Amino acid sequence: MAGAKGDKPAKADKAAKVAAAVAKSSKGRKKETGLGLTNTKDGNFGEWYSEVVTNGEMIEYYEISGCYILRPWTMAIWDVMQNFFDPEIKKMNIKTCYFPLFVSNNVLQKEKDHIEGFAPEVAWVTRSGDSDLEVPIAIRPTSETVMYPYYSKWIRGHRDLPLKLNQWCNVVRWEFSNPTPFIRSREFLWQEGHTAFATKEEADTEVLQILELYRRLYEEYLAVPVVKGQKSELEKFAGGLYTTSVEAFIPNTGRGVQGATSHCLGQNFAKMFEINFEDEKGEKAMVWQNSWAYSTRTIGVMVMVHGDDKGLVLPPKVSSVQVIVVHVPYKDADVKEIINACSETVKTLCDAGIRAEADLRENYSPGWKYSHWEMKGVPLRIEIGPKDLASNQVRAVRRDKGTKVDIPMAGLVDSVNGMLDDIQKNMFEVAKQKRDACIQVTKTWDEFVEALGQKKLILAPWCNEEEVEKEVKAKTKGEIGAAKTLCSPFEQPELPEGTLCFASGKPAKKWTYWGRSY
Amino acid sequence: MGALRLPCLTSIVSVSSARSSLFPRGRSSHLLNVRKLSSTAKVEVAPAVQEQGITPRSQDFNAWYLDVISMAELADYGPVRGTMVIRPYGYAIWEAIQDYLNIKFKESGHSNMYFPQFIPYSFIEKEASHVEGFSPELALVTVGGGKELEEKLVVRPTSETIVNHMFTQWIHSYRDLPLMINQWVNVTRWEMRTKPFIRTLEFLWQEGHTAHATPEEAEREAMQMIDVYTKFAYEQAAIPVIPGRKSRVETFAGADRTYTIEAMMGDRKALQAGTSHNLGQNFSRAFGTQFADENGQRQHVWQTSWAISTRFVGGIIMTHGDDAGLMLPPRLASIQVVIVPIWKKANEKDEVLDDALSVKDVLHSAGIKVKLDDSDQRTPGWKFNFWEMKGVPLRIEIGPRDVSSKSVVISRRDIPGKPGKVFGISMESSVLVPYVKEKLDEIQSSLLDKAIAFRDSNIVDVSSYDELKEAISQGKWARGPWVGSDEDELKVKEETGATIRCFPFDQPQGPKTCLMTGSPAEEVAIFAKSY
Repeated sequence: MAGAKGDKPAKADKAAKVAAAVAKSSKGRKKETGLGLTNTKDGNFGEWYSEVVTNGEMIEYYEISGCYILRPWTMAIWDVMQNFFDPEIKKMNIKTCYFPLFVSNNVLQKEKDHIEGFAPEVAWVTRSGDSDLEVPIAIRPTSETVMYPYYSKWIRGHRDLPLKLNQWCNVVRWEFSNPTPFIRSREFLWQEGHTAFATKEEADTEVLQILELYRRLYEEYLAVPVVKGQKSELEKFAGGLYTTSVEAFIPNTGRGVQGATSHCLGQNFAKMFEINFEDEKGEKAMVWQNSWAYSTRTIGVMVMVHGDDKGLVLPPKVSSVQVIVVHVPYKDADVKEIINACSETVKTLCDAGIRAEADLRENYSPGWKYSHWEMKGVPLRIEIGPKDLASNQVRAVRRDKGTKVDIPMAGLVDSVNGMLDDIQKNMFEVAKQKRDACIQVTKTWDEFVEALGQKKLILAPWCNEEEVEKEVKAKTKGEIGAAKTLCSPFEQPELPEGTLCFASGKPAKKWTYWGRSY
Repeated sequence: MGALRLPCLTSIVSVSSARSSLFPRGRSSHLLNVRKLSSTAKVEVAPAVQEQGITPRSQDFNAWYLDVISMAELADYGPVRGTMVIRPYGYAIWEAIQDYLNIKFKESGHSNMYFPQFIPYSFIEKEASHVEGFSPELALVTVGGGKELEEKLVVRPTSETIVNHMFTQWIHSYRDLPLMINQWVNVTRWEMRTKPFIRTLEFLWQEGHTAHATPEEAEREAMQMIDVYTKFAYEQAAIPVIPGRKSRVETFAGADRTYTIEAMMGDRKALQAGTSHNLGQNFSRAFGTQFADENGQRQHVWQTSWAISTRFVGGIIMTHGDDAGLMLPPRLASIQVVIVPIWKKANEKDEVLDDALSVKDVLHSAGIKVKLDDSDQRTPGWKFNFWEMKGVPLRIEIGPRDVSSKSVVISRRDIPGKPGKVFGISMESSVLVPYVKEKLDEIQSSLLDKAIAFRDSNIVDVSSYDELKEAISQGKWARGPWVGSDEDELKVKEETGATIRCFPFDQPQGPKTCLMTGSPAEEVAIFAKSY
């Protein structure tokens, strides 16, 4: 692909000269190539992360803080996820549409709780050309207030329901705290679904259907284990009735990440925006609404969970290149024949629907290429040298485990498919084991504080009172952020009668995950 | 086929007053009457309802266009002046455009990416003619997160500047070239006169940006992409665009050459439906985008950019639509076939619906985009009109008699009335599927043929300025030899309202004399009034 060709790292030319020498010492950091990471995941996670996303050619930093350039390596993953999610919701008869980026101030202000949540983050267009606008115009931080006046207009009778729309777009939240690529950026891409129903039951059902799709996106595509659950009153979506989410966890930092959210908005927005309908008995009723979204944050979570000291590790299902084929020319070997074998291999794999590419560039050594594609996280590398050619086999190296196996050319497709499946499965299993090892059940305040210090994902019995959560937040407020509820998992362990809340000592109502979060 | 016999929305001029106007809601009493009147496909509708149909195209093209957009539920006016809500039925056309082009772009080696929407104002200023061209239309963000921003930010009107800023960091040697990317995004231009799809403050588009080592490669790329657009227009949208080169006056701000595809709308105005620019080294010089060539010499890259936007959806509406409403080319229609079941008595309903369902399944599994309209709220006649208005290429009717003969009735959207209607097509999959596919293909090519005939009968070859004026005053396009100056071109615009749409690639042979100056001319230009 010509497009990918242009995406070489900046220091590529210099790197090529020293690559051969470095490649021999395959262990340790390869600073000389310009390819290695200068930070380790355990050593300095934050620096490691920004190095991985930039050196892995996913992100480019930009002049405007908090805005990032999403490079083809990222967009390919985004496209794969969209190609899963979009047909799934279309099967649910949810239609795609596009609402404007610009929101007028009076519409934005309509729902009070909602705007209180978002107002501090809004970016405003105040000028056009050389003249000031009479009234500043907001750029959508989310589209509830843009869309709902139309729902009010379009919905008349019960036959207009359900109204189920989704859009793929960019949104802007002008936050100032620690912008982090993918995880917290001022502009990001997402899908936002907005639906309206005649009954609460229908809305409730859809909230969970969508949440299940989000779980599948994380677990089946990104190989990231998540917990499905409900947000606390304090953490729920501003203006909504209740919020469900899938929560991921980053063991290295001990932080939870809200992976995606599916909100039941109840009738609050319907009331504000007068979204009424005539029911079957001819009586006026208000609709029940949901909204739900996942964003480019998903990709950041995946990088954080799977990446290692060599760079990105991409799950085969989402990687734009699943197999990279590298030729290993030796002195006196017939290079042409090796190159032909590489091209043949790529063709065989591509014909079988595997996303394979060959790196046949002659100005880079095999060692340089190994590092390069490891940095980019390609799940499987196939090396072909004269010996492989002679014995009619290829060498396959897994990115997740680093294991090497020789596989016969005959049956190549089956072997590769099997390995890709296994990598996908293994990445999820490993991530799940690591996550599970971090889960700590705490029943008292002291245990809680200790576990928090150990970067645990804390599961604790809680009285479910907003005041108590606020207190916990206040008491744990340190340099690295206060602890808060992540979610109350739908799968609740048994809560014996008489169990007390770890924080307040009042009778506990449910088990809830706590931790610091992104 | 007369005016659409449907209750109508108020013509949508502003959204603020539109709360009461949504089709087809709140009109159930009328519709009940209609239903009682109609037991067959022929529907007589109360005059009160008829009066509110789509404005006939021949009567008022602009009103017709707005009526179609509103009644076919393609779009709605946005909350901020000049913006637009693209509704699912309209967005589906855009998705079909995306699906086709995305594959073509990838096949030709382009990768998708995403650049931020905000561009520091200082970037825009770097290329002098670029900032001059765009500055009146820029939307500027000066406040974010409750604070005045240090540098005002431009909401992207197009991304050449930010792209070059990054290309400068990514391109080092000839091995990094060509660099070929594309993005699907929204862009903003603060236009004063807006029209849904055609010109809106915010619109969706794809913008391709490439960098090359040589001017020849860049030129080849710019031509290749206008060719992709041309093929798309002809083969998918059935729009016989005329590809060509823009005049200096009409060239993109910052480009050496702009290539365009120009389409003739139903009112014979021209629509610039896609452009591809050879940017030369204008941006690479402004941004210092250089590479080391094979001899180690530093050189500026040669660039292109090219785009198609949601404007194209407007082009489809205005090319094919008729008095009855929208007419979609089958290859871009999200519903290619609508099935309307017809029953009178309750006992007929089940068997009709059974067969309608199985016909739907047969077509669906053959990859045909089919919809069964089985609602019992509307009469068949109402449904016929509704789906005609929505521009669905083929309609299948199934009634009790068809059930007993195991056949269906098929009507073409593009041929009104009886001539377009065929009875007794077997429901048998082996007969029905090939028949439907063949008809869809026929409609596709017949739409193109019709548009070509219309276009060609409305282009006049002119050899003098008087003839040009005459042609333009008749609402036609004028094609004539031209070597006039920029001033001459502006004079034509002032005096006739027409601009040079392009110097078409397809040029007549033989010696030519400029229609304005009388000097020998190399090529003909096409003049027309445009959107």
